[in-house]
Amino acid sequence: MAETIQGQGGLAIDVRQARYVYPSGNVVALGGVDLAVEHGEIIGIIGQNGSGKTTLTKLFNGLLKPTSGSVIINGIDTAKRTVQQMAPHVGYVFQNPNHQLFARTVQMELEFGPRNIGVPEDQIAERVAEAVEFFGLQEFVEEHPYRVSFPVRKLVGIASIVAMRPPIIIFDEPSTGQDHNTTHIINGLMRRLREQGTTVVCVSHDMPLLADVVERVIVMKSTEIIADASPREVFADKALMARTNLQAPQVTEIALETVVPLGGPVALTTEELAADIASRAGSKSKTSRSSATVR
Amino acid sequence: MPEPIIIFDDVTYTYPGTEEPALHSISFQIEPGEYVAILGLNGAGKTTTGLCVNGVVPTMLGGELTGKVTVGGLDVADYPVREMSKLVGMVFDNPEFQMSQMSAAEEVALGLENAGVPYEEMMRIIPETLELVGLAGFEERSPLALSGGQQQRLAIAAVLAMKPQILIMDEPTSNLDPIGKQEVFDMAAKLNRERGMTVIVIEHEVEVMARYADRVIVLEAGRIVMNGTPQEIFGRVDELAALKLRVPAAAELAKVLGSEYGLWKGPAPITTEPAVKAINELLGANRG
Amino acid sequence: MSMQAALPIAMIPGNSIIHRINPLAKLVWVVGYVVLAFSTQNIIILYSMAAFALLLAPIAGVTRPLLKGALILVPVGSSLLALQIIAPAVERPWTIVDQLGPLSLYGDGVYYGFVLLGRIVASLLLALIMVMTTHPSDLFTSFAKLKVPYTLNFMLAMTLQLIPVFQREVGIIMSAQKSRGMKGSGFSAVLPSFVPVFVGAIERVQQLSISLESRGFGSNGIKTSYRQVKGRPSDWVIGIIGVLVVAYLSTISIMRGTWSLATEITFSPLFVLVTFLVAASLFACVVLAAVLFSFKK
Repeated sequence: MAETIQGQGGLAIDVRQARYVYPSGNVVALGGVDLAVEHGEIIGIIGQNGSGKTTLTKLFNGLLKPTSGSVIINGIDTAKRTVQQMAPHVGYVFQNPNHQLFARTVQMELEFGPRNIGVPEDQIAERVAEAVEFFGLQEFVEEHPYRVSFPVRKLVGIASIVAMRPPIIIFDEPSTGQDHNTTHIINGLMRRLREQGTTVVCVSHDMPLLADVVERVIVMKSTEIIADASPREVFADKALMARTNLQAPQVTEIALETVVPLGGPVALTTEELAADIASRAGSKSKTSRSSATVR
Repeated sequence: MPEPIIIFDDVTYTYPGTEEPALHSISFQIEPGEYVAILGLNGAGKTTTGLCVNGVVPTMLGGELTGKVTVGGLDVADYPVREMSKLVGMVFDNPEFQMSQMSAAEEVALGLENAGVPYEEMMRIIPETLELVGLAGFEERSPLALSGGQQQRLAIAAVLAMKPQILIMDEPTSNLDPIGKQEVFDMAAKLNRERGMTVIVIEHEVEVMARYADRVIVLEAGRIVMNGTPQEIFGRVDELAALKLRVPAAAELAKVLGSEYGLWKGPAPITTEPAVKAINELLGANRG
Repeated sequence: MSMQAALPIAMIPGNSIIHRINPLAKLVWVVGYVVLAFSTQNIIILYSMAAFALLLAPIAGVTRPLLKGALILVPVGSSLLALQIIAPAVERPWTIVDQLGPLSLYGDGVYYGFVLLGRIVASLLLALIMVMTTHPSDLFTSFAKLKVPYTLNFMLAMTLQLIPVFQREVGIIMSAQKSRGMKGSGFSAVLPSFVPVFVGAIERVQQLSISLESRGFGSNGIKTSYRQVKGRPSDWVIGIIGVLVVAYLSTISIMRGTWSLATEITFSPLFVLVTFLVAASLFACVVLAAVLFSFKK
């Protein structure tokens, strides 16, 4: 990925005391938020609707400008740039792919972004081909974006952003309306993007998805960041989860009620929890294992 | 044994302009008062199945339907959707797409007006229905000024006003935040338990369905591949995984403990509480 | 919430006398106002009409929103007046009353400028008061009573409802495309913004039609109405008074050849000059503000 705009030195996302107040009135959508994200991090943002998540991510690509404070993305102050100027630096995957697809073929859809940001024609083909391969869209390139199934359309939407090779990508509710299979595929894509050095920001209500993918969770409530920690720490904080009306993944909830009080891990996967239970239950006596049953 | 309220008898349906049937020889029955979850990947035929119950398929959408769908003793193909609406209420994933009126009260009133319900009766039914979905006092609010969860409950109220016996919800919470999800599912459970309403939910969230449903139907590529109690279905962890469907973590955990560590016998728990109880007993037994 | 504010003019809930008048009686007055305003050139009548409308505002409790809505009159009115003074829309000969550099200021223009302005001000003020004091559903219910077909009526109501929804939808789509580097304007922006809006609209209409059909829309039986719009004797009286006053005044106006007072009223050169300068500078300010605002964006 030689032509990618490289992550500039310093932070990928550097938000300082950013406030956002709707121009129409006195409604504060974001109140004095600080956030620093390193290049190559993969973070999740959670909170109820109206907590300020969307406002925060819209500050990242300049769709909104902070009323006060500063938002520096990839070393660039968004206040001085248009959304179009930010596009090479930060990609934004909207929740509903239908809000962005318009071209006659998937191929043309993928070319749109790179062409807009002034990628030379010969490199556009290369980038699109790479995105097609990355997303496994080979059989759909000549299809109309609205003729493919909804899950594929979602992938096309993501691919159209990835083809621009931004060093930072924001995913807004990537699993909404998608089945488990597609969610699983999208999770894999986010992880692979991250492995290639892309900074990934994932806004979602889907706790199992976040448990699976992200390494850091930002919790928002009433326009402010109220927690910033690993998924394990966040899910283990029962008071925090209750206060934000969020629910940890089921496996984590089971862990919290069983092995955690005994010093076990705040498990994020069933394998992890099962192994810990086995080590505790099995270590006592290998010959006379007792089995659990449901009553 | 009460008469089933919904009977699908060997139903095969093909959308107009397509070759491949969306539903292949579907047969199942639903008893009055059941809470049924329909699971499956996108494109498996879940929504089409729902649309067969209120007659949108095939009456409104056309296409070719063989076999027979009987709802409340009526052959669905013989009645217009507006007649079926007195038996079946249906809501979709995007509540906003179902709103057409200036105020919540008028949204609920629309169906009643079309049915020619007298004014005095309307004045009784509307507040009653809004109360039922937890929107009492929202009469004059614009539907667009409501939160997602409130909008979806209003969409449900709008069909409930017609006094249907069956409520079908097609991914009712996919656009809602966790609070909104909770609101909608709590309300559906209440309708089911307290009013004996037959509820059919098309959902991806297996953990929620494990808690509420009496029965689970799994579709794959237009065919029913599983049909049974949540206990049975969610216990079939490997088969669900092969269908690329999610399994409640509790069931998956029991499966792993059983097959890899020999620590679990008997049926898998499908919700959090029994899983916690059983594991704590397991851990306790070994400590003590 | 903010979505309602998307429409600049909306109903202001209330229970004043004006709010309680039957929508049709109010509609009769608005139509009557327009008819009278355009059949007379008598500025005394025109500004009395405007004054009467203004008088109703505090009674209805909508003074502030009314004045806010009437702000649109500033650019319209100022440009109209300024233009009329230098180029009257009446037959020559025109009387020059003053000279401002190369510009001749005409007395006839002042009068007709005020006539045109009076027509717009009077009609708009009353129309705004009507909109602000009438629940749209009540208006549509009244239409139904006038035997306007149900489907047409429903479509009208629905359109009103969809405007803010589509405004928001367009906003999201523009954001999504700008995030892909799309230039915000010009021909290249047409397809990327239009196609998703169109597809979204189709999807919405499909779902809505199923949702409406399942609520008995299109049934042939007798329909009832949740909104009860009463036609009390007082509403009839108000409506009939409106019709009579309008009929009387417009008949006289037409019989007297629009009843223009242009020859009776003469304006002093100073008045004309001041009027022109005020109108022209007001208009210039509005234009300048608009340019600056769009540049800042």
